[in-house]
Amino acid sequence: MDVTEMKNTVREFILAEFLPGESSANLKDDTPLRTSGVLDSMATLKLVSFVEDKFGIEVEAHEAGVENFDRISDIAALIERKKGA
Amino acid sequence: MSTEREELIRAALEFGRRAFPEDRPTGEAEGEFNRAGWKQLAEFGLFGMPVPASHGGLGLGLGDVIAVMETLGYAIADQGLLFSANAHLWTNVIPVLIYGTAEQKQEYLPRMASGEWIGANAGSEPDAGSDIFAMRTRAVKTATSYVLNGTKTFCTNAQVADVFVAYATLDPALGPMGITSFVVPRSTPGVTVGKHIDKMGLRTSPMGEVIFEDCEIPLANRLGREGRGAQVFECAMEWERGCILANCLGVMRRQLEKAIAHCQTRKQFGKSIGKFQSVANRIVDMKLRLETCRPLVRRIGELKDSGKAADLEAAMAKLYVSECYVKSSLDLIQLFGGYGYTTEQGVERDLRDAVGSTLYSGTSEIQRNIIAKCLGL
Repeated sequence: MDVTEMKNTVREFILAEFLPGESSANLKDDTPLRTSGVLDSMATLKLVSFVEDKFGIEVEAHEAGVENFDRISDIAALIERKKGA
Repeated sequence: MSTEREELIRAALEFGRRAFPEDRPTGEAEGEFNRAGWKQLAEFGLFGMPVPASHGGLGLGLGDVIAVMETLGYAIADQGLLFSANAHLWTNVIPVLIYGTAEQKQEYLPRMASGEWIGANAGSEPDAGSDIFAMRTRAVKTATSYVLNGTKTFCTNAQVADVFVAYATLDPALGPMGITSFVVPRSTPGVTVGKHIDKMGLRTSPMGEVIFEDCEIPLANRLGREGRGAQVFECAMEWERGCILANCLGVMRRQLEKAIAHCQTRKQFGKSIGKFQSVANRIVDMKLRLETCRPLVRRIGELKDSGKAADLEAAMAKLYVSECYVKSSLDLIQLFGGYGYTTEQGVERDLRDAVGSTLYSGTSEIQRNIIAKCLGL
């Protein structure tokens, strides 16, 4: 799966779970998620679990903060780093 | 409905009526746990119903368990006992079944499924109720163990529990990602059951504080991954919200039948009171509530049995059924008039039991929050 597919997979999950009815065009790679309130801490935990299951990686508690989960591009970068590690 | 489920319902009805005859006192006034009743439920197989046969259970689907619970709620007056059974099933059996390691399942599930061990949830704290993840109970990891310190409250079954599924934070700064869950046998040094909490209803279901003081738990007793206790908790709550009111459907059915029988036989002004439109309308509302509540709860069984999430549906069922349960309990008292207000008829007990349903497993306000969030609000 290339990085564009990764981003789209994450985007589809966020739209389905946390933004039902929202157009995918409005959820861009750099749309703030945590800092804008789209994702609260429990929603982030749900997203972390999805990312782990979908991409076969493990995210530690200290990695689930704003630095890695505020934007789809950050999430994709974390997945790439984890898969490449 | 399948023939097997119909047979199960018949068996549950026969069992409930035989084992819990209506005239048998259940220690409600004294707030006594019905241990003999617990053993009877265990012998009937209730606690093993959602557990696979490989772990000592019957391996039934959730739809079947919900049908049994509804029937037991109809047949048994002691809703406190069924409340304790619900707490044991959804906050102990299910988390261990879903998140337990092979060793944990082997160690705990057979005893939980047989009813030999009673489980209690140690989650809520004095300052962490609806805001559960603000919990202060700390877990400190050592080379071989976790050491728990903190006080839990509103723990159903606390006084009679043999095991606790407990939650503590490794680091409050991590929020929900700091929470970790543990299986803690009551015999663990450092576990104390604190004061009994007296309640207006569900009085036969014990409730109390659980205190962890330098309570050292082997690493092997961590339930689920480190920092994923919030996920375990949310999972348990989803099951509990969706299923804990199944027996209340049975109560609502019993209330409806009682209301109809009473209003057909009680005469005032020369005719049965059911002939007065304002009286009949209450019974119509009770019937409507029962029939609109039932599909919401049964839907949880369908979703879970097909491996789907039921966050939204469980919150809707919890909110709607609990509020209907309170309204129908109030209606029944009104239909019985002054007699309904006395303790002789037993209908006031239903109301006292019902009020708690809008509070436990998340208040009605919290259920609305969950539903709104699921709608993208």
